[in-house]
Order: sequence, then C-alpha cells, then structure tokens
Amino acid sequence: MSILSSNLARNTLSLMAAGTLVLISIMLFSFWLANATRDSVKLVETGRDVRIAASMILTDLIDAETGQRGYLLTGRDEYLQPYEATKAHLTESLSLLRSRARETPEISRDAKKIDELAAAKMQELTRTIEIYRSGNRDEAISLVQTDQGKKAMDEVRVVLDRIIKVMNQRVGDNLGHLETSARRLSWVTTIGGLSIGVFSALAFYFVASYTRSLVEARHEVQSLNETLEERVADRTTALSRANDEIQRFAYIVSHDLRAPLVNIMGFTSELEVGTSSLKSYFDAEEPTQDQTEAAKRTAEQDIPEALHFIRASTSKMDGLIGAILKLSREGRRELKRERVDLHAVMTQAASTLQHQVDSAGATIEIPDDLPSVVADRLALEQIFGNILDNAVKYLAQDRPGRITVTGEEAGGRVRIKIADNGRGIDEKDMERVFELFRRAGSQNRPGEGVGLAHVRALARRLGGDVTVTSKLGEGSTFEVDLPKKTRMKDTSAET
Amino acid sequence: MPDTTKADHVTIVMIEDDEGHARLIERNIRRAGVTNEIIPFADGTTALEYLLGPDGTGVNNARRALLVLLDLNLPDTTGVAILEKLKSNQHLKRSPVVILTTTDDEREIQRCYDLGANVYITKPVNYEGFANAIRQFGMFVSVMQVPTTD
Repeated sequence: MSILSSNLARNTLSLMAAGTLVLISIMLFSFWLANATRDSVKLVETGRDVRIAASMILTDLIDAETGQRGYLLTGRDEYLQPYEATKAHLTESLSLLRSRARETPEISRDAKKIDELAAAKMQELTRTIEIYRSGNRDEAISLVQTDQGKKAMDEVRVVLDRIIKVMNQRVGDNLGHLETSARRLSWVTTIGGLSIGVFSALAFYFVASYTRSLVEARHEVQSLNETLEERVADRTTALSRANDEIQRFAYIVSHDLRAPLVNIMGFTSELEVGTSSLKSYFDAEEPTQDQTEAAKRTAEQDIPEALHFIRASTSKMDGLIGAILKLSREGRRELKRERVDLHAVMTQAASTLQHQVDSAGATIEIPDDLPSVVADRLALEQIFGNILDNAVKYLAQDRPGRITVTGEEAGGRVRIKIADNGRGIDEKDMERVFELFRRAGSQNRPGEGVGLAHVRALARRLGGDVTVTSKLGEGSTFEVDLPKKTRMKDTSAET
Repeated sequence: MPDTTKADHVTIVMIEDDEGHARLIERNIRRAGVTNEIIPFADGTTALEYLLGPDGTGVNNARRALLVLLDLNLPDTTGVAILEKLKSNQHLKRSPVVILTTTDDEREIQRCYDLGANVYITKPVNYEGFANAIRQFGMFVSVMQVPTTD
C-alpha cells in the first residue's frame, strides 16, 4: 500500500508542478506582452510627436519664408510679422524633434540635418531681410534668385518626409508584433487552461482510483483476516490432533512393548524356580514323593511352558517392532503426485480379494464413474486395499456379503464410501478401530491391529481423513475424504 | 441385607488378553495359597458374554460371589468399557473389580476409581515386583469378604 500512496503523491505532485508551470508561463507571457504594449504605445506617441514636430517645423519655415517674400515685395514691416513670430516657435519645434530623435536612433541623423537645414534657411532669410533693410533691395532679390533658400526648403521637405516614413514604418511594425503577441497570448492562455483542466482531471482520477484501491485493499484485508482465523483454527485442530495421536501412539507402543517384556522376565524367573525344584530333586539322597512329582511336573510342563511363552513373547515383540518400523518407514516415504483413477485402484484391490469374495459368496460393486484424484498411487492402493480387505474379512456369517463402493466429487474434495453389510462395529469402538494394535469385536479373525491405523495415517498424510459409521450387526461404511489434488508439502501432520 | 460369602466360595473372573500374563498371575495367586476357581478370558467380548449372560442382564450370575480381575488393554474393547458395564449392572455392581494393568497413567487410574473400580494395581515390569504384587493380592483375596450378587 505504501507503493500505492507514494505513487499517488508523486503523480499528484507532478501534476501540481505542471499546472503551476503552465500558470507561471501564462503570467510571464502576459507580463511580457504588457511591457511590449507599453513600449508600443510610447513608440506610437513618439511617432505622433515626431509627425507634429515635423509639420510644425515645415509650417514655421513656410510662414517665415512667406513673411520674407511679402516684405521683400512690399517693403512694409507688417508683412514681416509671420517671420518674427516663427523664429521663437521654430526653436521650440526643433527641440521637440531633437528630444524625440534621441529616443529613436534611426532618425537622429535626419533630425540633425533638419536642424542644420532649418538654421541655414533662417540664416538666408535673415540675411536677405537685413540686406533689404539696409536699402539694397536688388541685392536682396538677387540673393533670393540664387535659389539657395528654395533648395533648402525642398531638402527640408524631403528629409521630413523621410523621418515621417521611418516613424510610420516603425509604428506599423510594432503594431504587427503586438498583434502577433496578443494572438500568442490567447493561444497560450487557451492551451494552458486546457492543460490545467486536464491535469486537474488526472489528479482527480488518481485520487479517485487510489481511494478505490484503498477500499478494495481494506476489503481484501478484511476477508484475509476472516480466512486467516479459519486457517489458524484449522491448523490448530490439525496440530492438536497430531499431538493427541503422538501421545496415544507413545502410550500404546509403551504398553504393548511392555507386556511381552513382563512375560519374558516372568517366565525366566519361573525357569529359575523350576531349576531350583529340579536341583532339590537331584540333590536329595532319597527324593520324597512330593519332590519327585514336582520335578516331573517341572520337567514335563513348567519348563516347556515357560520356554513357549518366552519364545512367543519374543516373536510378538519382534512383530510389534516390525509393525512400528513399517509405519515409520511409510510415514517417511516420499509421496509422488500423479493422476490416479480410483476406479482402476478399486478394481485392482477387489481382484486381489476375488478368491475370498467368491468363497464367501459375496459381491463387490464398483461403479465405472469413480472420480480421479492427483495423489500418491501407492498410498491410495494401500488405503482402499486395506478397507476392502477388512470389509471382506468381517462379513456377517448369516447373510450373503454385499460391498458397495460409491464416490462423489464436490468443492475440490473427493469422497469415497465403502459400505458393507458385515458384522459392524459397536459405537464405542468406532474410534478405537483406527488405533494402533487395537481391534474391535470378537477376535475370531487373524490380524495385528495395524491396517486401519495405517490407513488413517496415510489418508491424513494425503490431506484427507478416514471415518466410519456403523451399526453393530448391520454393517459399516468407511468414508475416505481426499483432496482432489494433494499438496505434497502437507506432510507435517503425520505421526 | 445381602449375604456375604467366605473367600473360599469366591470365583475369580480373570480378563487378561495376554496368555503369558494370565498364566503368571494364576501361578502367583496359587503360590499365595489361594485355591479359588479362576475363570480366564482372553478378550472383553467373551468375558462380558459370560458375566452378563446371553440376555445381557447379568441375571445368570445372580447370587454368586464374583471377583473380577481386569486388564485395561484388551484387543477388542477397553477394560474401562467393561468396568463401566459391570458397575452399571444392577446384579454385578457390588462385585469387587480389581484393575491389574501395565498402564500407570494418573488420569486413567482416577477414571477407573471414578467408575467404581475397587483396587487399581500396576503390573511392574520387574518380575519380582510383579510376583510380589500378585502374591499380596492373593493374600488379600483370602481374607476379604465378597458380597453375593443380587
């Protein structure tokens, strides 16, 4: 879950960072555009001022010239008035142009030139007027006729025109840039807005899916907790069952091994008693009737009997130890997993019992559709072989034997039932039949009391169990419950 | 008031699956000077058939003095089950039952007394002990009073 949450944190944080980046770039772009707009406005203002200054300079110069021409024609001072008025005004206009030209380097040369030209023009006008005043009218007129003044004026027009054109060009360009930037800004804003929307949607999606997976994880944890309790309970039951079995096994083994030991030691002592009775017979000079009889009994009965019991107990112990060893070997044998057809196993087991079945006039019914399992073949053969063998062995004498096998499969488990109409098992002995060296009912059939103990140990090792239901005198049903597929590591519950 | 019988008339019913044990017990009882009849059984089923009779009521043994010597570990059924049956039978419940077994499990001993066992003796593995125990038991039998069954 920590991976999930750190992913979420990373995702939402990067989305937030991206959103912030977009916002910052929109802001920077707007700021830059505002600056550019202010510059443009300033430029437009400069352009306007330059145009005003240019037209004023031109008007002033024309006015000054008009005044000069009128004075030269009439000789009357009132015609000089525009000329006089212009002189101050022109200086002002020129200074305006100069100041604006400082801000726009492209026109500074032309502005300087206008300065010079205007000064030259005014100088020419002043000179002609001065010459005229001194009474030398013709000289003044001839000075005008040199076209010096006209040339200066023409040049002023050309240069002013050029200045205005340059300014117009600049303002035009600038407005073009401004428009492009504005268009870009609107694009950036649109795209940025969209991206912020997308980022928010993504962040929402991440948070929502995180919340959903949190809820799912909580459900999972809950259900795991529930099954965990179940599993722990199952395991505890299995363990305490295994523990009980071990204790029971140890108890049985110690008791059953002790019993023949008592015999061996007991009859050994009896042999000693017999020996001393024989000794007293042989030692006596004249054995009494009693001594003779005792010696005879000892030699004929007691000693052979004692030897018989010692021998029998020894071989019994040997048998018990053999059975324990066999069980222990079986418990250690490595199980092999393979698909086993239970019908084949049953048929095989039944065929080995065919002779006994026939001689008892009994029948064994095995259906064709018994399920198959994945488990250890040998273990299954031993389990079903033992149960069928018991069923045949303990049939009731007073009725024809009938052994019926049925099988069913449900929920990953396979249940095989082997029902007989034999002599049955008393209710109090139903668990006992599965105990080592223990048998139930009348002991009229040979047996060691190992078979069913072995069957149960095997079934539990395969992850299953064997149980019995029975009614004394009516028959027994052994039920073998097995997993459809045995897990091979499941060998810890063996005893 | 039920009659009591002198030890001489007491019949000892011995339920012991191990033939060797049965033989050793009998010999040592005899060595103690006990001459009572001993009826041996090697398994619980036939012993119960004898004690409770074919009808399972125990009426066949009414008015007899019986002493039951019982081993707990029998091949076909448990001695405890036999003890339970005897002590819950109205005819046999007063007959003394002596448990003579290899089992020395504390809980098993308690359980037997709870169910009404009269004496619990553990068979020692060591034969001297075993023989001694049986002989003392034999002496005990020779002096005890056994009620007849109702």
